[in-house]
This record gives sequence, C-alpha cells and structure tokens, in this order.
Amino acid sequence: MNSSAKRDNDILPSLLGASSGRELRYRLSATATQLTLVQAQTLSRHLESLPEATIGLRLGIVHTYTSDLLDPWLRFEALRQGLHADIYHAPYGITIQAAQPDSDLVAHAPDVTLLLMQWEDLHPDLSRPIGRLVGESRSGLAAQVVENLTALLSKFRDSVPGEIVLTLLPSLLPPGLGEFDSRSEASESAWRAGVKAALAGNLRGRLPGTRLLDLDETLMQLGRQSFFDLRFWYSSRFPFSPLASRELARRVMALGAIIKLPKAKVIALDADNTLWGGIVGEDGMNGIALGPDYPGNVFVAFQRRLLDFQQRGFILTLCSKNNPEDVLQVLHEHPHQLLREEHFAALRINWAPKTENLRSLAEELNVGLDSFVFIDDSDHECLAVHSELPHIEVVKTPERPLAIPSCLDRVARLEVLTLTEEDAQKTELYVQERRRRDLAAGNSDPTAYLHSLNMQMRIRFDDPSALGRLAQLTQKTNQFNLTTRRYSEADVQRFIEANDWVVAHFSLADIFGDAGIVGLALVHLRADMTAELDTFLMSCRVIGRAAESAFLDALLRRLCERGIRSMRAYFLPTAKNALVRDFLPRHGFVFQDDDSYLRDLIVAPPADENVHPIRIDAA
Amino acid sequence: MSTFEQLQEVMAPALNVSADTITPTSAQSNLAAWDSLGHVNLMVALEDAFGIELQIEDFSKLGSVRAILEYLKSQGVE
Repeated sequence: MNSSAKRDNDILPSLLGASSGRELRYRLSATATQLTLVQAQTLSRHLESLPEATIGLRLGIVHTYTSDLLDPWLRFEALRQGLHADIYHAPYGITIQAAQPDSDLVAHAPDVTLLLMQWEDLHPDLSRPIGRLVGESRSGLAAQVVENLTALLSKFRDSVPGEIVLTLLPSLLPPGLGEFDSRSEASESAWRAGVKAALAGNLRGRLPGTRLLDLDETLMQLGRQSFFDLRFWYSSRFPFSPLASRELARRVMALGAIIKLPKAKVIALDADNTLWGGIVGEDGMNGIALGPDYPGNVFVAFQRRLLDFQQRGFILTLCSKNNPEDVLQVLHEHPHQLLREEHFAALRINWAPKTENLRSLAEELNVGLDSFVFIDDSDHECLAVHSELPHIEVVKTPERPLAIPSCLDRVARLEVLTLTEEDAQKTELYVQERRRRDLAAGNSDPTAYLHSLNMQMRIRFDDPSALGRLAQLTQKTNQFNLTTRRYSEADVQRFIEANDWVVAHFSLADIFGDAGIVGLALVHLRADMTAELDTFLMSCRVIGRAAESAFLDALLRRLCERGIRSMRAYFLPTAKNALVRDFLPRHGFVFQDDDSYLRDLIVAPPADENVHPIRIDAA
Repeated sequence: MSTFEQLQEVMAPALNVSADTITPTSAQSNLAAWDSLGHVNLMVALEDAFGIELQIEDFSKLGSVRAILEYLKSQGVE
C-alpha cells in the first residue's frame, strides 16, 4: 500500500457521479485513497447498476479458513476491472474433495480457482514449532511438504479447468526463534523460502496454469500489523484486515483481468514531469530534475521501474509534445537518464495531438490501440486520450513525486502470467523491424527483398518445451488469427498430448535477427482422414514476409504424409482480424455452404518448399 | 440525522438490505440478512462510520440495534 494512501470520506460523491464503469475506473485510478468496506460495497452496487456490459469471471475458492468475507472486496475489485465475479466457495476445510471430477467446484467451471491454505495444512509436523529442526530432518520435511503440495495441485490440475492459484497464509507471529532466526541453521524464514522455491520449480516443470500467489509479498507491503486483524481471526477464523482483504482481492482480479481482457503490450510515456521533473524545452537539459537528489532521484527510480516492465515483455514508446532535439539531447547525453533511445521501440516527439501520435504508434508497431497503457502528467492530455481513444488505458502521473515510481505497479494488465525469451528481447525485435522496413523501402522488387532477408524457418510439431509461448500466442494474437480462440497452457498441453491433434509452431530468423516463435497451427484430425484447422495464427511482427504461406504448405505436406486427404478451415471475423479475411481463398480453400472452407489436398496438394523465399527446417 | 438514522445508513449496505428494513427492534435473531458474515461486515462498517475501535469482546454483545445504539452512546456518539 502506498504510504500516501489516506481515507477520504468526501471521495464517494465524486466517484458515484461516474456514468460508466470505465469512467469510474479512470477516476479511481487517479486516487490512492483507501476505501472502507461500506464505500466499496456502495461503489459495487453503483457499478452493477450501470448499463455497461461486463465480462463474467468465474472464481472458485477452496479454503481452510473463513473465506466468504472476501466476497465484497472480490466483487469490487472485479468490477473495477470491468469484470463480474461469479464466486463459488467450496465447503470449509475440504481441499482434496474439491479436486474430484464430480465436485461442485468442477461443476462451477471456474476461470480461476483460489486455494486459501495454511502451512499447517501441509504436514502434521508444521503445527508444532520447527525451531530445533536441522540437517536431514529439516530438508526431509521440506521435501515432503513440496511433494504433498505438488500432489495436491496435480489433482486440481487434472480435473479443474482454468488457472489454479495457491496461497499460503503467512505466520501470524514472527519466527519462533525471534531475532536469532536469520542466523540459525534452523531458520523458519529460510525454510519456507526454500519450500516456495522448490514448489515453483515443480509448477514450472509439470503444472501449467498453476501458480503461487505469494501472500508474503502483501505481508511485506502492509506489515504484519496491518495485514492481520486478530479480532476476526480469533473470533471468526478470518485472518485479513480490510486493507489486506482488498489487496488480496486486487491481486486475484488482476489475474482475472489478464485472462479476460485484451493484453497490454505497449507503455506509451510522456516525457516532461513523467520521465523527469520539469520541462526540458523551458528548463533545458541541465535544469530538469533527474539525478541523485530529490526530486530527481524519484524519476531515476521510475525509469528503473520502467526497465523492469520492459523485462516483463512490455514495449516502451515515447509520446511527447516537445522539440525533438530537446528530448533526444536528454536521451543521448544526460548522465542520469536510464532510458536511452534504444530502449524505445518507437518515438513520437512533435507537437501533434497525442491521440494522433498514439494511432500512428499503433500502426507502426502493428498492434491494436487496446494494447496501450498511456501515462502522462497532464489532466488535459489524459482526458483527451481517455475520451477519444476509449480502448487505451490511461494512467495519470501522480502529482506527488513520491508516488511516481510505483504508479504502474497496480495496473492489472501490466502483470504477466508467463515470460518467454521472445518477451525479453521484444524491443530489440522492433528495432530490427525498423531496419527491415528501411531495406524494403530501398528495394523496388518485393520478391528480391524477401530473398535478400535470407530467412530460415524452424518448424516443430507437438513440442512441449514451447508450451508457455504457444499459449501466449493464442492469448495475444488478434490480427493474423483465423479463429481467435484463446487457450491456456493446460489446453495446449492437452492438444500436444492428444493423438488426434497436431500442434505445429514455427520460429523465423533472418539477417537482422531471430524473431523467436511467431506462428502456431492447431489441427484436429478426424477418423475419416480429414483435418480441421482449429487455429492458425502468426505474430504481427513477421507479417509481410510470406512466412504464413511457407508454414501452411509445410504443415499440409506433413499432414499429407500422415494420409490426410482434405482440410476444413474457418474464418471467424472479429473487429481486428480483417487482415486474414482472404487468407483461406488465396490458399486453395473453397468456401462451402456451411460457412466453412475446404481444401481438397488431392486436387490442390501443398507446394514444394522451394517455391517460397524461406529455407525450412521441419523436425 | 439521529444516531438511529445514521445507523440505518451504515447497516443497510453492510447487511445488503434496504435502510427501512432496519428498525429499532432489529436483531440477529429476527433479521435473516444479519448472519455471521453480515455481522463481521457490520462490525467493520461501524468502526469506519463512527470512528470507533471495537474489541473482540464487543462483537458478540452488539447483536441488536438496541445494543449498538447503547454502545455508541457509551462511546459518546449521540
């Protein structure tokens, strides 16, 4: 929680004046105000009464302590994300039964299942002090706890759909050994940290779509005294203070937002009073606040934070009303500027309206406007973008400098569920693309241009090592996507394991670099030797390089080898995939009466590899 | 606004009922919405609305409008 957060009884009337959920969310995002339970409930009722359509989120809660007191906070935080929470609580204390295929939890078909557990549930020895446990008995207990937890989560993974989120309630008291704990070989804190790390390893390796939501992080944020309300714990077995309840609800619904809402991809940054204090055009490079002293150190901290977001896989762009040379001088020469020109995938430094610049950024980066988070200190600019580009999420730079470094930390869509190699080098990929465009511009013959790229495509079939990236591609790809079906890691794993599905993906490299895994096809094989193209998608970053045709031909050649005689495919139009409207007819598919497309592979067999300007390695 | 009217305003959202459902004789024993979940909600709401801090011992004593009004009076809320 932000230290500046304060209670404000006058906030409610202005919030209740909002005429849409989006409007209310915008007003709420601009305030660090803590809300009381009653205020949150009042706002929830107001949000529910608005005509705006909300997206349903089905939440299942399995718990070994009282959980229904979280509901008002969960509902509120869901509504704040534009989600409507449908919450099911499993019977108190029963954990393993809920994982049975015929359980009420499974029948609830949750998008997210939240496990609220205590350490004591994990092993009988944990209800006693472990302050004298050393050596093998200590590591043995850790191994057993990790094994028990992994087994429990596997049972849930086997029968419960959606994301599975484990929480472990932190201790109500500091370690049993007190101050000596951190020095002791029997350290309780170190033991728990070890268990969490070992469990995380198992989740990564074996249990897709299963994660640990670490409540210790919230405990650290709030402090033990603010996290627990001992009165409710000892009277009703409900551990959380209102502050902690809301924070837990916020984190759960952030997960919901990532699953249900369009993915954020780009952070568009204002410069003056956002990346540094002051106005560079007036104060000059040496006059802006950026450096070791307050308030310049706050802006250095924020820039560091922005580099964290870049490591999470978000693209940074600059959108500033300034003379380009003033801003570029800071990017190139200021000794304390952390974000240099190469950290930005694209820059707009001019005097045009920001809405216009954001549109052109979306065009250049080949992403939708709904994948932007825009941050600016000016009320005027924020409001203009908020009202003219309703799909962009707007964050106003806080007026108090102290609040700036953390101002994006609570933007739900800037959380990530997975992190792939592609994410880590995304900005570099866009810089490569800029160079590719320059080459194309200097080349009048498109075929010659494609050959000059010296492209190599690596196709893999049913490869589980790429699970995270493949699920991510189904979640994020909007434009080059025939059916826009979203799949979780667990779904993709099922397709990979199933004999009657083919999961094909490709990565693409050229003289400018390796774009990583950028294309995916999911094919369902029928008993009558026909195939159905469930999903065919490609990342926007390789559009225009003829990769889709080479990939389709390679896929069809592989299917023909397996005796497949025809392929049925669908184009499901969305607001964003007009790009592929003609893809099927242009690739030998014939429109049928039932709105499907059919390609007879005997009549129209796939072309040879050498007709494409791409070398293919298909293992 | 009388303390009772203020209390109505606080209790209604906490118990998720309309304000006129709350009468001077309302109690856990005669109001279905005032269940154990509603009661904990109500305790939090009372603290927020009246700026008081309840002790765990108070929770079980404040099971009726009459008891809450008496308690508020003892805390100087009139």
